Amino acid sequence: MSTFERHGSQVSLLVTRDEIEILINLAEQLLELLGEGDFFHHYDVNDPLAQLLAVPDEIQTPEDPVLKRLLPNAYADPEAASDFRRYTEPALRGSKQRALRKVREDLLVIFESSEEEGMVEDVDPDSWLTALNDLRLALSVRLDIHADSYEVFELLPDEDPDKPVFAVYFWLGWLQEKLLGVLQ
Amino acid sequence: MTDTKTRAEFSIDQLLDNPWVTIVWDDPVNLMSYVTYVFIKLFNFSPEKAHELMMAVHNEGRAVVSSGTREEMERDVQRLHEHGLWATLQRDDKI
Repeated sequence: MSTFERHGSQVSLLVTRDEIEILINLAEQLLELLGEGDFFHHYDVNDPLAQLLAVPDEIQTPEDPVLKRLLPNAYADPEAASDFRRYTEPALRGSKQRALRKVREDLLVIFESSEEEGMVEDVDPDSWLTALNDLRLALSVRLDIHADSYEVFELLPDEDPDKPVFAVYFWLGWLQEKLLGVLQ
Repeated sequence: MTDTKTRAEFSIDQLLDNPWVTIVWDDPVNLMSYVTYVFIKLFNFSPEKAHELMMAVHNEGRAVVSSGTREEMERDVQRLHEHGLWATLQRDDKI
């Protein structure tokens, strides 16, 4: 079972091989989704030239419900929301991609060498918190999570195809809670 | 009957000080501990103040977490979105 630990200012994470695979798989899926229609997909969003030359005429509110939750409208008024999105969405996508890439890279490094379990020695808490939270948000849309979802999950028969997805969703919440716990 | 002078001054003060607000909306996914953590990190609130605001979001469905100029609120909303919180900005209702 995975655990975050803190020694002084350094946070580490002990994970099993199965857990590493699940996390890498999810991070890659979400990175792929975030890359879709990304105007700066082939650039580093922090590159001032990319920002300078490539401000698009318009970026629509995403149609995919997961993207709509991860990249929400900042204004109730559609015109103001669209204008804000035009200037800020690429950077918002970029920050989410950076956190997911960091988590993925942390895990890939130990995946090759680990047998039953591996240790991420120096966890960057901000990247991990953001990435775990975004993965939970993404799964929550697919699972239609609401306040009573844990009871729904417990009552699902084992053969229900959603059961393992619910399990991963609640496990990610537990993991995020653990990380918040060691940061206090 | 109304005292126009006082009212005008009051409105101008409000317009100059806090014409826009950032609102955080409740959702069933973000952990209460995480929302509190983000409020402390982004707004330098005390743990008590952050917890109080988080509970307001949870119980009332939304809460104003900051106020200021439109540009400041756009920055706050952007940072909240970066952390996965559901936030919007609008003109302060009270004006």
